[in-house]
Amino acid sequence: MSIALEESKEQATPKSRPGLRDFLGVIGVWLDERTGFLNAIQQFLTYPVPKYVHKNLLYSLGGVTLIAFMLQLATGLLLSFYYDPSPEEAYNSVDYVTYQLPLGWLIRGLHYYNASAIVILVTLHLLRTFSFSAYKKPREITWLSGVMLLLVTLGFAFTGYLLPWDQRGYWATKVGTEIAGSAPVMGQWVLRLLRGGPELGQATLTRFYVTHMLLLPGALLALIALHLHQLRYHGMAPPITKRAQALADKFVPFFPHWVVVDATLGVILLGLLIYLSWTWRAPLEFPADPTSTDFLPRPEWYFLFLFQLLKYFPGPLEPLATMLIPALVVGSLVALPFLDRSEERRPWRKPITTVVAVIYVVGLVILTLLAWQADQ
Amino acid sequence: MSNHGLPPLDPQKGSWDEEALSRRRFLELGFWSAAGAAGLTVGGAGLRFLAGNSFDPKPEHWVEVGAVADLPSGRVHRAAYKVRTTDVWREVEKVGLLYAFSDDGAEYTVLEATCSHLGCNVHWREESGHFACPCHNGAFTREGEVVSGPPPAPLRQLSTKIENGILLALV
Repeated sequence: MSIALEESKEQATPKSRPGLRDFLGVIGVWLDERTGFLNAIQQFLTYPVPKYVHKNLLYSLGGVTLIAFMLQLATGLLLSFYYDPSPEEAYNSVDYVTYQLPLGWLIRGLHYYNASAIVILVTLHLLRTFSFSAYKKPREITWLSGVMLLLVTLGFAFTGYLLPWDQRGYWATKVGTEIAGSAPVMGQWVLRLLRGGPELGQATLTRFYVTHMLLLPGALLALIALHLHQLRYHGMAPPITKRAQALADKFVPFFPHWVVVDATLGVILLGLLIYLSWTWRAPLEFPADPTSTDFLPRPEWYFLFLFQLLKYFPGPLEPLATMLIPALVVGSLVALPFLDRSEERRPWRKPITTVVAVIYVVGLVILTLLAWQADQ
Repeated sequence: MSNHGLPPLDPQKGSWDEEALSRRRFLELGFWSAAGAAGLTVGGAGLRFLAGNSFDPKPEHWVEVGAVADLPSGRVHRAAYKVRTTDVWREVEKVGLLYAFSDDGAEYTVLEATCSHLGCNVHWREESGHFACPCHNGAFTREGEVVSGPPPAPLRQLSTKIENGILLALV
């Protein structure tokens, strides 16, 4: 009788899931006893993610952006094995990668299209964070590191554009550095430092290459570390809708529940980038030619709004378009959490910030479309 | 009870060396002085190193625009030049674009094709009789004066000389 009772007790107790330690074996346990990493990893993976976050794909924009950044670092590292950073050979090395190297079209295509994808993802992630008022106290540092990451992304775009040393990159960089040069007082000084001399040449290419390959990736990794640390430290911002609030006391583990969502979206992104790279090979114009007059210099699509803005501020007013307005936009992003300090998180209940954001987005889209239309 | 502000140690482990702690302020000062001096030295030298020769004056060269016989008066001529020069550590053949014209075949005006606005190359439009910039629609007269658009200054006019029937310009 007593034996039967004990057996039924054993059946009633649910079997505990094997932990990370059980999977690692003797070597893993040996390492953990010396490093103490296992507990930290276990905590990281089992972090409780609120159900309202898990249920809303908009919350995955940050994770997908992170995946896109990792893909960009990986493809950039691969490209650097073949890239030759000199005005004489840069073009030939990129041409070789694109048209002769096995799978060169894929790696350069992924890097090229992913650059645009990152700009889109970072912008959407910023808009999501803004709409859910996640920048408010105590998450100001998460927001500010995000704004810095946006600037680093644009820095990557600007410096990467020159590297193939083709017509497109050469002329866009010539105009871009002249814009810096047109700033009052310090302009010419900045232009010389950017170019490493009076004209675009070897020094400019080396500067842009090092910035693109070392400085910005370093800044990117440091900012991502800060961004993610702050995210974990403060947790997710409170939900703003009643439906989400109803799910606020239910949680799922970070791994695998949330990770699988981000990873699935990441795979879809990868598929899309492979499709784009296969269908429309990453473009390479003719080699840079300082004597040409038949090439129409244009910036990449995500800088077209600035290019269009320039048309409305001729002559002495030009620094308004090239310096003041961009500085005000970036300044307003930086100042946002310090200006909007109310408890209100619902965008429809705080019209000023919502209207300003809508003006920014509509202005950006209209200026981009106008610039695009003018060239058709 | 000491007032050094350090968290108390587990008595099983041991205790702070109070005698060593009396030098704490001095050691802190020493650390910040050493770190500051090293930082300023490396930082200052690094900044100067980064600036390099960026601010050196642009080297000047006399370049061939063309044989005077091939540059008849009354027309604007497009001339691409080549000159051997040094681009930081590299010996290169620098190329550039100029425009030349003359009313009498004796005195030539040579203009650099670089737009004074943001550095794009202007091109000559025979039908309208002006130089046009494709970037932001700047326009210049044949003499390089601004007609319309955003350019803040005329096209750069170069010094010229004629040697052995060849028109030269100083770029």
